[in-house]
Amino acid sequence: MTKNEYLSAEHRQFVKKIKLRKLAVTGTQIGVLCVFMLLWEVLAATNVIDPFLMSCPSRVWATLCDLYYDGQLFHHVWISLYETVLGFLIGTVAGTLIAVLMWWSKWIREVFEPYVVVLNSLPKIALGPLIIVWAGTGQKAIVTMAVLISVIVTIITMLGGFLQTSPEKILLMRTMNANKAQIFLKLVFPSNMTTLASCLKINVGMAWIGSIMGEYLSSKAGLGYLIVYGGQVFKMDLVMTCTIVLCVLAGGMYFLVSLLEKFLVRWQN
Amino acid sequence: MTNILALQDVSMTYYTKTSQTQAIKNLSLEVKKGEFMSILGPSGCGKTTLLSLISGTLKPTEGKITLNGKEIDGTTTEIGYMLQRDHLFEWRTIYKNITLGLEIQHKLTGENLDHCERLIEKYGLKDFVKHYPNQLSGGMRQRVALIRTLALNPDVLLLDEPFSALDFQTRLQVCDDVHAIIKSEGKTAVLVTHDISEAISMSDRIAILTSRPATLKRIHETNLQNVKTPLLRREAPTFAKQFETLWKEVKNDEK
Repeated sequence: MTKNEYLSAEHRQFVKKIKLRKLAVTGTQIGVLCVFMLLWEVLAATNVIDPFLMSCPSRVWATLCDLYYDGQLFHHVWISLYETVLGFLIGTVAGTLIAVLMWWSKWIREVFEPYVVVLNSLPKIALGPLIIVWAGTGQKAIVTMAVLISVIVTIITMLGGFLQTSPEKILLMRTMNANKAQIFLKLVFPSNMTTLASCLKINVGMAWIGSIMGEYLSSKAGLGYLIVYGGQVFKMDLVMTCTIVLCVLAGGMYFLVSLLEKFLVRWQN
Repeated sequence: MTNILALQDVSMTYYTKTSQTQAIKNLSLEVKKGEFMSILGPSGCGKTTLLSLISGTLKPTEGKITLNGKEIDGTTTEIGYMLQRDHLFEWRTIYKNITLGLEIQHKLTGENLDHCERLIEKYGLKDFVKHYPNQLSGGMRQRVALIRTLALNPDVLLLDEPFSALDFQTRLQVCDDVHAIIKSEGKTAVLVTHDISEAISMSDRIAILTSRPATLKRIHETNLQNVKTPLLRREAPTFAKQFETLWKEVKNDEK
């Protein structure tokens, strides 16, 4: 807002209105969270809901502090985060590369399309036992799960975007004597930055599903492990705490991806 | 004037699983160096197919097309193609859009970039080189598209209804603009259109095509070379008469 001094009074009014509205939205968002927490706490304190089953904010906070002072919190967070980010990166990169291959060769695309469609509909958790047998019970299996879940969606989303590239723009490239690699690198890929961004956003969720599901199946540490453990020994405080930590992590990762999106489609503004 | 582009007995047939369609039949046509020729015909008569053939993106089923005496085989930078929309790449700056062709050709040499700079300066795009396409008006974008085509220094420009996406006001302006630029660069141009007044106002000669399969019906001379701009040509005394003649000819062919 360096040009503020040139704005007319009406314009300034208009800008102020937009800013106020944005502030109101953020304020209400925080308000909703506070009211929810307060209600939860009060209902639990007055025993309207059973704090043993439903937990409550103060118990979550206490559990969080315990985990932190034990040095356990970051141990588990790092393990889950590592699995998720690794699965996210491998899934996205591999999926995009496969999509490139399927865009490049119509033959490959036509042959493998039904397989991709079937794999997409298949609930990947069904492969859990197989993955454990093949990749072992360690982190490898969990990362494999995260990759499997994100890779298929990536292939479908990216290929869809690639194939929707304007045929006239491709014609334009051809009249400039561009070869297929140039058409891809200078037109098809850059014109799909929005697709890539939405794909990354989907994959944040997919990778978390994969890693937590993987930890449910077999793990010795991680947030998913803690949740399952908490459920088994009926420590609902632990389950709630881990779920909330998970929310924060997933939200943070989504935020980072949104920043990346702004960079990828910076020409739009 | 010598012929720069010649089509000899060109035919083009498309095949689908269930049918075959002849789009062009035994079409012969010559375009002289430096002239502005329009190709006019009823809609769907195969005009765009014709441009694809000349640009080398399609191969004719029969006949041959020569540019400067050499048969066209595949795309060549001696022919520049301007499409119905500007198709600027939104993620590239205006400068990067203009130099796209040179980049593809690996010809980003000092001499070629100087040529671009000259075009940019001459045609008033200097202030916009760092802008992105969505910051420009429709008319300006079309001008950038033309300069992008000219950056590769083609001998012949193919224009495929390049004004059809613009509103009428802008269209008249851009017609003048494009016409002036093409004439001042001394380029040969082939414009495909179904807009009769556009054809008369822009061109030296008009090739009238029949409906599908397209073949040459007649060549019409506009004799308006001494009137400078397309806008002024629309006010020329013979304009209305020419319009009527051509309109009847094209209409008779529309089914």
